[in-house]
Amino acid sequence: MLVGFAILLPFASSYPDGLETVAETLGVEENQPLWDGLMPDYSMPLIENPYLSTLLAGLFGTALVLSLAFALGRALSKTG
Amino acid sequence: MHIPDGYLSPEVSILMNVVSIAFLVWCWRKAKKEYPKHFASLLAVSSAFVFVAQMINFPITYGTSGHLVGGTFLAVLLGPYAAVLSMTIVLLVQALFFADGGISAFGANVFNMAVIGGLSFYIVKLVAGNSIKGKRFALGVFAASWLSVVLGALACGLEIGASPAFSQVGGIAVTVPAMLFWHTLIGLCEAAITTTFTTQLYRLQPAILNGLVLLRRDAV
Repeated sequence: MLVGFAILLPFASSYPDGLETVAETLGVEENQPLWDGLMPDYSMPLIENPYLSTLLAGLFGTALVLSLAFALGRALSKTG
Repeated sequence: MHIPDGYLSPEVSILMNVVSIAFLVWCWRKAKKEYPKHFASLLAVSSAFVFVAQMINFPITYGTSGHLVGGTFLAVLLGPYAAVLSMTIVLLVQALFFADGGISAFGANVFNMAVIGGLSFYIVKLVAGNSIKGKRFALGVFAASWLSVVLGALACGLEIGASPAFSQVGGIAVTVPAMLFWHTLIGLCEAAITTTFTTQLYRLQPAILNGLVLLRRDAV
């Protein structure tokens, strides 16, 4: 799965997605988010190469989701 | 269709947060009653898969892209309640760490993608009954995934249309058709991908689907 991700990533389209296109078409601008997060727009700070930056950000996010979801799964299974 | 901060009026934002929290609590309770012991790994891997998949945008037409939402995929693998919770984790990580989806819009995003996605389970069940192979299942998954994206886009269009940022440019009358237009197309891709994955998954790893909530007649 991660290998697939690493391979597909460079091909990921950078066109705006559906919602962003609607906003653009209507002339509504996106405001600054309330909270930027560590890796805004999926880029790792301090890493210059965009591919690597996104890849690492993705890996980090994946690890995070894996751990949180696993914890959730355990919490759900605990009751008899 | 991750809504950023600033697109929603405070009223809509608060409303959707309340609605989503209610759904999350409900799903947590229902999920607690139902899930088998070794569920945690499946939950973890499915959520991670959806997270990764959402990062890969594919072009739809010139100038616009879409990405897999994965709600129905999760619903088929995990059942409706856990699917809602799983997608919520993905959305949470996205909002907190990647600023993909605004914090204030979290409730709306959860509703549009997690709740609608998870509940699309019932569309699969409606069409496919208790079978997980064959045409009815594929058809059910296809219909459910398409609908989950389109209905999510509809909800999104209503939420942003009702808010000041978009009412100045025409409000719901403009946002809903626009969102529906793109997401009807994106929905087809979601449906194709989800159907392919779930039917292939059955072929490769029937054990996963055999444990599926779909087959348990008492599950609904």
